[in-house]
Amino acid sequence: MLNRRAFLTAGLKAGAALAFAAALPARAQGPAGHVVVVGGGVGGATAAKYLKLANPRLRVTVIEANRTYIRPYGSSEVLTGHVAMRDLDVSYDVLKSKYGIDFVFDTVVGFDPAKKTVRTAGRQSIGYDKLIVSPGIRLMYDAIPGYSAAAAETRAPSGWIPGTQTALLAKQLKAMRQGGTFVLIAPPKPYRCPPGPYERAALVTEWMRRHNPTGKVLILDPKDEFVTDATMQLGWHRLYGYNIPTDYLKDMPAGVKNSGRPSPIEWVRAKDGGTVEKIDTRTLAVTTLQGVEKADVLNVIPPMQAGKLAFDMGLTDASGWCPVERRTFESSVHKNVFVIGDASIADAMPKSGFSANTQAKVTARAVVDQLAGRAPGEPVWENTCYALAGSDYGLFVADVFRLKDGKIAQISGQRYLPLDAPLAKIRLAAAYQQAWLRTFTEDCFA
Amino acid sequence: MGTLMNSPLLALVLMAATLSSAHAAAPGPTGEAMAATCAGCHGTEGRLGTGEFMPLAGMKEAEFIRAMQDFRSGKRLSTLMGHVANGFTDREVRAMAQYFARIQPGAR
Repeated sequence: MLNRRAFLTAGLKAGAALAFAAALPARAQGPAGHVVVVGGGVGGATAAKYLKLANPRLRVTVIEANRTYIRPYGSSEVLTGHVAMRDLDVSYDVLKSKYGIDFVFDTVVGFDPAKKTVRTAGRQSIGYDKLIVSPGIRLMYDAIPGYSAAAAETRAPSGWIPGTQTALLAKQLKAMRQGGTFVLIAPPKPYRCPPGPYERAALVTEWMRRHNPTGKVLILDPKDEFVTDATMQLGWHRLYGYNIPTDYLKDMPAGVKNSGRPSPIEWVRAKDGGTVEKIDTRTLAVTTLQGVEKADVLNVIPPMQAGKLAFDMGLTDASGWCPVERRTFESSVHKNVFVIGDASIADAMPKSGFSANTQAKVTARAVVDQLAGRAPGEPVWENTCYALAGSDYGLFVADVFRLKDGKIAQISGQRYLPLDAPLAKIRLAAAYQQAWLRTFTEDCFA
Repeated sequence: MGTLMNSPLLALVLMAATLSSAHAAAPGPTGEAMAATCAGCHGTEGRLGTGEFMPLAGMKEAEFIRAMQDFRSGKRLSTLMGHVANGFTDREVRAMAQYFARIQPGAR
């Protein structure tokens, strides 16, 4: 007792006491530290929560621009009126109250990796021991000649990051003339939510069967294939009479035959001239290699890159995405900085919410281990996404990923619902898709 | 040479060496790390209050192992659990089972 007191007094006189006194309680209780998470989407929120679960004594601060999160997964259901815009809102309250996570609602405008600080627009300087960045995506509106961010807010919404454009697109669909054409321009790889554009096209087709039975959905695509392509097209075929291209037809179950009649949904691939060259946002004319398509409603899902913040912080490479050390997702550019979610280069992992969620857990554990002086353990990641070809017609992609020769590899084999799956499984997958929206949101945000 | 290889002692030494080096090279993810990948559907720590999916917290070890084996073999019908179960070895399934068996069931 006396010794410790004498030591502290001496320390005070020596002028080193402040640092030592600050370090002492932490040392007495075991290791801790301050982890700052930039971005409160699926990746950032999950990382913050799982950091606290792994070590409740850690100080965790999330810096996020918006006070309420608008979930992108399932947001196409707003177009069909199955859910309202407000149903997409997710609160940060539980992360604050239940886990003691600090939130700073502000934007990062400065970053000093040597001093380990970030600066916000509100002039706060926030120091960190480890920094996790989950910047999401940036939509490159200007990459398509004729298209722009301004056009996306008025004439031809994207809605790939949900918000005002999602509501606008829903309004335009409802107001579309009978027999009109809803044109969806699909993005090139890599992009967020690989089955998403095709699920959206399916849900709009289903909606039109009831509300605009002579209307049509046309997908213009710069690709020749997409994630879940065979199972999704089989769903379109069964539900809407979609004509399956010959090269896909040969793998379909016996008895699947095209009617040859015009279908309310059509997919024009790159090999069939689906690549868009330019659009006219005044007339909604879309020029492709095969000709000009006149849209009544035009939904553009433009090419994507890592979120703007990733560029501002210098975390991207020439590809426009963020290179990381695969075991922990520590940035290849800056030490003690980790990049997770859609913005990261993660090899076989798709850019999905589920991927971001499991990346966040692996990285949170690695950060806690590093702060405690332990080597991070062996990682495992997963991606399971349910998608809909119709309200009662579910399908999915399911993957388990491991580290293999320094890269992330899919090791679980078959990914999709088998083409000969019975109707019971298909209906169950649709029910699970709705259940998943709730359980997944809970695992990330509550 | 023949007598050496037939020696049970040498065989044992060789086997032990192989086992320990394999173990050191790939200790594999912890039960907790693997269980975290289930949480998107089955709840954080497997503690799901309501919903269509099976809560895993507090599940008996043998029950979890049998379920995963049956999903993998197709004996038990599933939507995507057969695919997921294919991504884990028997040893890993056991580690996950041990983790979930220790968690207090009920909503978090």
